[in-house]
Amino acid sequence: MTNETYSVVLDGLTKRFGSFVAVDNVNLQVRRGEVFGFLGPNGAGKSTTIRMLCGLLRPSAGHATVAGYDVARSPEQVRQRLGYMSQKFSLYADLTVMENIRLFAGLYSVPEKQKPERIAWALTMSNLNGRESLITGALPGGWKQRLALGCAVLHKPPILFLDEPTSGVDPIARRQFWALIHQMADEGVTVFVTTHYMEEAEYCNRLALIDRGTVVALGSPSELKDRAIEGDLLLLECSRPGEALESLRRVPGVRDTAVFGSALHLVVEDAATAEPAIRNAMLRLSNEVRRLERIRPSLEDVFVALTASRRAARERTA
Amino acid sequence: MNLRRTLVMARKELLHIVRDPQSLAIVIAMPVILVLLFGYGVNIDLKGLLVVVLDQEGSQQSEDLLKHLQASSYFHVAATVNQYGALTRALDRGDAKAGVVIPWDFSQRLHAGGPVQVQALVDATDDNSANILTGYLQSVIQSYSAQLQGDWLQNHGVAAPEVPVVVQTRTWYNEDLESSAFIIPGILALVMSVIGAFLTSLTIAREWERGTMEQLISTPVSAGEIMLGKLLPYFVLGMMDTILCALLAIYWFKVPFRGSFLTLMIASAMFMVVVLSMGFFISVLAKGQFAASQIALITTFLPAFLLSGFLFAIEQMPIPLQVVTHIIPARYYVTVLKKIFLKGTPLALLYADLIPLAIFTLVLGVLATRSFHKRLS
Amino acid sequence: MWSRMKQMIVKEFIQVLRDKRTRFVLIIPPIVQMLVFGYAANFEVHHVPAIVLDYDHSQESRDLLSRFNASTYFDVLPPATDRAQFHNAIERGDAAVGIEIDADFAQALRKGQPAPVQVIVDATNSNSALIAAGYVSQIAAGFAQQVQQDRVARITPQWIAVVPSVQLEQRPWYNPDLRSRWFFVPGIIGSLTLVLVITLTAFGVVRERELGTLEQIMVTPIRPAEFILSKTLPFFLIGWFDVSLIAAVGSLWFKVPFYGHVSVLALGSVVFLLCMLGVGLLISTVSSTQQQAMVTSFFFIMPAITFSGFGFPISTMPQWLQWLTYASPLRYFLVVLRGSYLKGVGIDILWPQIAAMTGLAFLLLTVAILRFHKSLD
Repeated sequence: MTNETYSVVLDGLTKRFGSFVAVDNVNLQVRRGEVFGFLGPNGAGKSTTIRMLCGLLRPSAGHATVAGYDVARSPEQVRQRLGYMSQKFSLYADLTVMENIRLFAGLYSVPEKQKPERIAWALTMSNLNGRESLITGALPGGWKQRLALGCAVLHKPPILFLDEPTSGVDPIARRQFWALIHQMADEGVTVFVTTHYMEEAEYCNRLALIDRGTVVALGSPSELKDRAIEGDLLLLECSRPGEALESLRRVPGVRDTAVFGSALHLVVEDAATAEPAIRNAMLRLSNEVRRLERIRPSLEDVFVALTASRRAARERTA
Repeated sequence: MNLRRTLVMARKELLHIVRDPQSLAIVIAMPVILVLLFGYGVNIDLKGLLVVVLDQEGSQQSEDLLKHLQASSYFHVAATVNQYGALTRALDRGDAKAGVVIPWDFSQRLHAGGPVQVQALVDATDDNSANILTGYLQSVIQSYSAQLQGDWLQNHGVAAPEVPVVVQTRTWYNEDLESSAFIIPGILALVMSVIGAFLTSLTIAREWERGTMEQLISTPVSAGEIMLGKLLPYFVLGMMDTILCALLAIYWFKVPFRGSFLTLMIASAMFMVVVLSMGFFISVLAKGQFAASQIALITTFLPAFLLSGFLFAIEQMPIPLQVVTHIIPARYYVTVLKKIFLKGTPLALLYADLIPLAIFTLVLGVLATRSFHKRLS
Repeated sequence: MWSRMKQMIVKEFIQVLRDKRTRFVLIIPPIVQMLVFGYAANFEVHHVPAIVLDYDHSQESRDLLSRFNASTYFDVLPPATDRAQFHNAIERGDAAVGIEIDADFAQALRKGQPAPVQVIVDATNSNSALIAAGYVSQIAAGFAQQVQQDRVARITPQWIAVVPSVQLEQRPWYNPDLRSRWFFVPGIIGSLTLVLVITLTAFGVVRERELGTLEQIMVTPIRPAEFILSKTLPFFLIGWFDVSLIAAVGSLWFKVPFYGHVSVLALGSVVFLLCMLGVGLLISTVSSTQQQAMVTSFFFIMPAITFSGFGFPISTMPQWLQWLTYASPLRYFLVVLRGSYLKGVGIDILWPQIAAMTGLAFLLLTVAILRFHKSLD
């Protein structure tokens, strides 16, 4: 171990596919025992990054170390120390629960002596005791997900990579799943998770926002919310939100508008000056204002704001 | 039935085919490859098989016979050997198909008079080429023998009799006995089976697998329109492939074409509907793409290859198998193809094969439509 | 390393043997295909329907025709009374061969002039025509020789014992009864093995890629080489099982003799199976879906079988095609199979074939493994 505090280090990590740059010079350090979220829209380079960290893809440039080992130079050492679970359920659907567990115990070379104990642990953890001989493909989605996690951590890896682990899982199962993740983090396991679910990102200790292959923001969820938006955020409930969405953009002091459920979120330079202007504009449109107040931005606001401003900047330069 | 919706479906299906390199490869490369493969790879006249000769005597007389053998254009004397062991070894190794042994007392026994035996050891592992090669050897030896006799009789003051019986063989419909002419018309049946059944069997299965079928059903498009729209592009492509194969056969391999093009198109259209319906039927029944393609291969391609008379004569099969060939649509189509290409049989005289084909068209078409309706509801 | 591979192998066997359909696919279709192929693939020609038109009605013409009646190659139909009926029978396909004897046949023979026999062969029906034409010539030549002999005896009876003549004594080796089945059964064993092992391997790997399980496996510490080895070893064993099964059906059902050494055939089979695993893996590295694997396999399998000498001798193909045949592993394996079954030759004769397959196996597996590494990226 070269570095005790950081278990995953990305140093200028880059991946190109032909002329397309999927991951562009990413630098990150993930501390031991941290639940680290990797947040970004589809195609932002999340999966490519995680696949490089697992040694499935070779970086085009830069380095990454996982548990102190360089992913490109000693992928096998790395793999022995990590657990990986992908967005797609990828255990063998035609094997039984027990057969899948045994397979991965063998693949991770779990010592014979520890095997019974580890298998029992995985079964308990995934709450599949007594269901060992069921065919995996016939399990409900949430159970499959827990089994996949159980198989991924059979060898007690110090680092766990989760690539959109809860897509297609119902909210209750998702909650249970995250409880498990935090339990493992408490035991010192580093968890590196990609997601595009905002409410899921809230579970993380620290987040990196990635867009088009580059990290655009880094920090804890609350840090991001405080920092990421220049100006204030207003919530507007009105009778005809569709009309307001368009026309309020032209009101001075309003930077951006977005639909949020049945309401609108407005990014303004300063809440105190913008509020009257908005009320005036709405009055002219005879669009009844039911509620207008300053709110704390959610992660989604942060996300939309950051990616939108970057996109606008790119379009200006182009 | 709404024509516009049907055409919209057909357009979508065509886009699938054109955008998928694999499908496109099947549609374009497959016919060409199959025609070239069988056109060049399948040879029935078997000229140029290799022969070794062991001349145990080495006299002028034996060399005379050797020259006769070497002069034949039907087989090729690859080597002369000195030892019996070398000859058997050549056969064992497969270096030669036959070994001719001229005995050590050949000229002596000829002088003494009476028949002299020349041995031909033929590698009969392949009975067909053994048969043909033996026939060629036989005719060389017989003409040599006749010439010897004629000379001998002349030397003894008797007018040399001419060869008593002349067999004038005319091979009808394929005067040059070119095997490409037998084989290539039948390839059309293979190509259409692949295009029709193989591809269509995958398309419907794919829509089920990807869940796009439910999306389709939720629109006002009817089952009949979906089916027709899906099959129309394959029908058109299949017919284009038929034309492509026919052109390759006629202009590249110089297969005679004596019938009418219209007749060919009518018969091909009927067979196309048969294979498309089969593919569609399989596709409706089979669970996944893999199962569908496997079933399509076993029920259409293999019978078209084995049991249609394309390569192996049906009359030579055991009776139970001959009975089975009657339920193979390709059998009728292959017969029709050969008749159109080689005999130039007009449409009206093809009824014996076209009526069964029409029955298949009807039965399979109805079966496919009904099973599709059933699966949808 | 071993513990990792052991679990992979156990898993592979569970997957194959648990599924009823897969179990079925591994056992029943090979047997059925062996049987259908064994019966359908046949170039023997017997009982060809023949029609005769005898304008001569002489002793001589009846003599000649009785030779056709006596032969099992022909089934002679009731004689035609006029040319229209005669031609009609051939056109309708009732007869495949027509033999016409002119009115002055006997007269010409007696005068020592060539007596023509007209033979019409319906050449639409694959290679039966050529073989039937050969049989007609053979029968006529036998008759001619008899006539010649009789004439010499008539003119100069004292010379009959001393007139020289040469006869061909044919000895079909390895397959004395010239049975087509003996030729095809070993070929079918090879071809079926090829199809089975290639598709199994290609699909086995591609399915894992498609389902995402390959990725899950590759993030465990298993090395690619270990993965390939433990993935292919079960297919190797299954392939081995199927070769034995198909070979047993071929030997027991079709009674094809085995004269060679089991050990040589076993060695040949091992290297051949390795080649097939290489091809299957190679196909899996260029295909990302099962459908693509299916199409790619098809494009490999068709030429590999056609150019292997499965049905037609390689030496009669165009030269450029003959070079191509060296790339088909089946070409070598068929020589080993037929050598072992029919010829009874050993390693001293077959080593070049086995060496060539070993080379190909090495090449194919190396490229496959290198490509597999790349395809993970």
